[in-house]
Amino acid sequence: MKFIIQREAILKPLQIVSGVVERRQTLPILSNVLIDVSPEGLALTATDLEVEMRVNTPLDMPQGGKTTLPARKFMDICRALPEGAVLEVTVDKDRAVIKSAKSRFVLATLPPAEFPNIEEMRPVLEFSIAQGLLKRLIERTQFAMANQDVRYYLNGLLLEVGGEELRAIATDGHRLAYCSTQNSIKTEENQNIIIPRKGVNELQRLLSDTDQLVQVQIGTNHIRVMTEELKFTSKLIDGHFPDYQRVIPQNPDKLIISDRETLRQAVQRTSILTNEKYRSIRLQLEPQSLKVLAHNPEQEEAEEEIAVDYTGPGLEIGFNSTYILDALAAVTGDDVELRLSDSNSCCLIQGVGDTRCKYVVMPMRL
Amino acid sequence: MTTPHWPRVIALVDMNAFFAAIEQRDLPELQGRPIGITNGAQGTCIITCSYEARAFGIRTGMRVKEARRLCPHFLAVAARPERYAAVSTAIMDALITITPDVEVFSVDEAYLDLTACQSLWGPPDTVARRIKRTVYEASGLLCSVGVSGDKTTAKYAAKLRKPDGLTVIPPWETAARLRDVPVTDLCGISHGIGGYLAARGVRSCGDMAKLPISELARRWGDIGRRIWLMAQGLDPAPVQTQVAAPKSVGHGKVMPPNTRSHEVIITYLEHMAFKVAVRLRRHQLHARTFFIGLRADEWLGGHYRSEYPTDDAAPVLALCRNMLEQHWRGQGVHQVQVTALDPRPALAQGDMFGDSAPRRAACNQVMDAINQRYGEFALAPARLLGRSSMPNVIAPAWKPYGHRDTIQQRR
Repeated sequence: MKFIIQREAILKPLQIVSGVVERRQTLPILSNVLIDVSPEGLALTATDLEVEMRVNTPLDMPQGGKTTLPARKFMDICRALPEGAVLEVTVDKDRAVIKSAKSRFVLATLPPAEFPNIEEMRPVLEFSIAQGLLKRLIERTQFAMANQDVRYYLNGLLLEVGGEELRAIATDGHRLAYCSTQNSIKTEENQNIIIPRKGVNELQRLLSDTDQLVQVQIGTNHIRVMTEELKFTSKLIDGHFPDYQRVIPQNPDKLIISDRETLRQAVQRTSILTNEKYRSIRLQLEPQSLKVLAHNPEQEEAEEEIAVDYTGPGLEIGFNSTYILDALAAVTGDDVELRLSDSNSCCLIQGVGDTRCKYVVMPMRL
Repeated sequence: MTTPHWPRVIALVDMNAFFAAIEQRDLPELQGRPIGITNGAQGTCIITCSYEARAFGIRTGMRVKEARRLCPHFLAVAARPERYAAVSTAIMDALITITPDVEVFSVDEAYLDLTACQSLWGPPDTVARRIKRTVYEASGLLCSVGVSGDKTTAKYAAKLRKPDGLTVIPPWETAARLRDVPVTDLCGISHGIGGYLAARGVRSCGDMAKLPISELARRWGDIGRRIWLMAQGLDPAPVQTQVAAPKSVGHGKVMPPNTRSHEVIITYLEHMAFKVAVRLRRHQLHARTFFIGLRADEWLGGHYRSEYPTDDAAPVLALCRNMLEQHWRGQGVHQVQVTALDPRPALAQGDMFGDSAPRRAACNQVMDAINQRYGEFALAPARLLGRSSMPNVIAPAWKPYGHRDTIQQRR
């Protein structure tokens, strides 16, 4: 096996696939990237048994063959070579030699037959969507995913296809992010899948902010997202996502409209003096005024008052400031609306005039 | 007031031969005799000994045999930990009348921060005498008191004159007083750090200033920085009045020997789960991991994790049932234990999918209020009507208002 390639041509694909490679491995082969040279070009594949990423790059005059190389070392070598360097990679038995000008590296290989293949998937649903649309859908919800919760089905993103809509929902039980986008997907029944955290992160990383279409395949156990040069496959979480509709407040009677940036900055500054662990802030609502208050165990205090559009009765409610800030960052538009019922019920945050994305935050006891 | 106030006034109270002194006070026939405390009647190692015994060269950690060789009249006395804990509690409670800033450092030592009491109690030697009197009134025992401007020097001062000592080292004298003291004599400097310092030519506290602070910080971090300051009489450590959060909250009970009834075992487990939950709630704690055990010939059971952190008995009881199902094969058992292993402050943050938690919490709150007023188990799950009527065994050291048995743990 032999191929010649420019540093820049291999570096980017290598960086994309090596995001999947875990730093610590129990199976040595998983630290390696699979290199498959064929007349079609060079294919790089990395996997952690849950997420698989494959990138294709064209090659001039390849000599076909397969091998696996240690991903980090190979990437570090490529990165450290000077710009515009040309690499010649040759594999002889269990050694790979990388030559570039006067540099020479010999890397240990592992047999490509040992490289785990993600099992064949049979798509039950296939559709295409603009990359940017899918990326935004993920970006605006993924932050609410749980992390290492025993409720393992919350450590991922729920993707719902149905009713000519694509919906993404994430929640850690304390807050929830919901985003939907129109899509002319024809499906007989709704498809609900949960993509694990790591898959979501990798997917978000590889999607670009363009109108270019990606092909999405959903199988019973997998999701696959493909562009011309990329193939991303992730296993799905086999679990039952809780009924999120139940926790989206239906008729909150108190409506507050605020300039989004003003509110965000007030909460941001106030949160400096919150208890580091619980980050709790107090919102004091009066007609046309919202006070944001915080104090910490050292008895230090912060107070901000902003003018808001509100005409209801006075109300005091506590929140984890991180959740509010995350929601305010994900909402679009200049103005934001907060809908509340009482100090024990969830708060609904939306951009004014934008019902496609909803953020729900559970209050804290004061 | 003629004496100017010190920037900080720290006192260390050190009880003299604490356990031995208690025995001699409680049992007049032991007074004036060389006695040593051993761990039970079978114990062979001396935990502590009276000053009369020390005069013969008998020391803590010595074997009884060896003590008898040094002093044929030596008397070994079995330890009574509950008694010592009770006396210790009484002393600590009395010290709080002098200043609220008391750090219970061990069963027989406490730091007092008197900085804020200088106008009230007067100069350091006056307040030191008051401390000694207070301790004597609370326990009938003598102590040594060291007063200085920092914890390390106060502790060093208390050690200087024993028994019944009183040493005051004003902060402006500390550096000079410590100059020739070997660094390893200071509390908190072990042989490990001592060796590290000796290799760099630091043997006495006076040598420390020659060593750059970074040399200690590099290897030992903040502890190193503190040691560098300590040796120069500048120990910055505050008197820790906050008791650290509890590491576990548990209840256990001895059952009738060879209990084989599922019903009875479940009742005992529920009883313990209930008590653990009440105590978690009382201190606004939640826990997620529990040790649930049954004692047959050996302990059956293990660690169980509930879905959410909880302060409610129901999920703990559910874990108990799991344990029974997994581990109990009908054999006779004689002890139960339920312990919350990871108690932490209850999260004020609600959970959207937690099942009917608010109602549960409200119900528990009412039940706790009723039981506080009308007595433990005035209101309880029906099954607990059949609970063991054995009285609660409460060690005197167990403080009903503390979430941890400071004194027992530190013994």
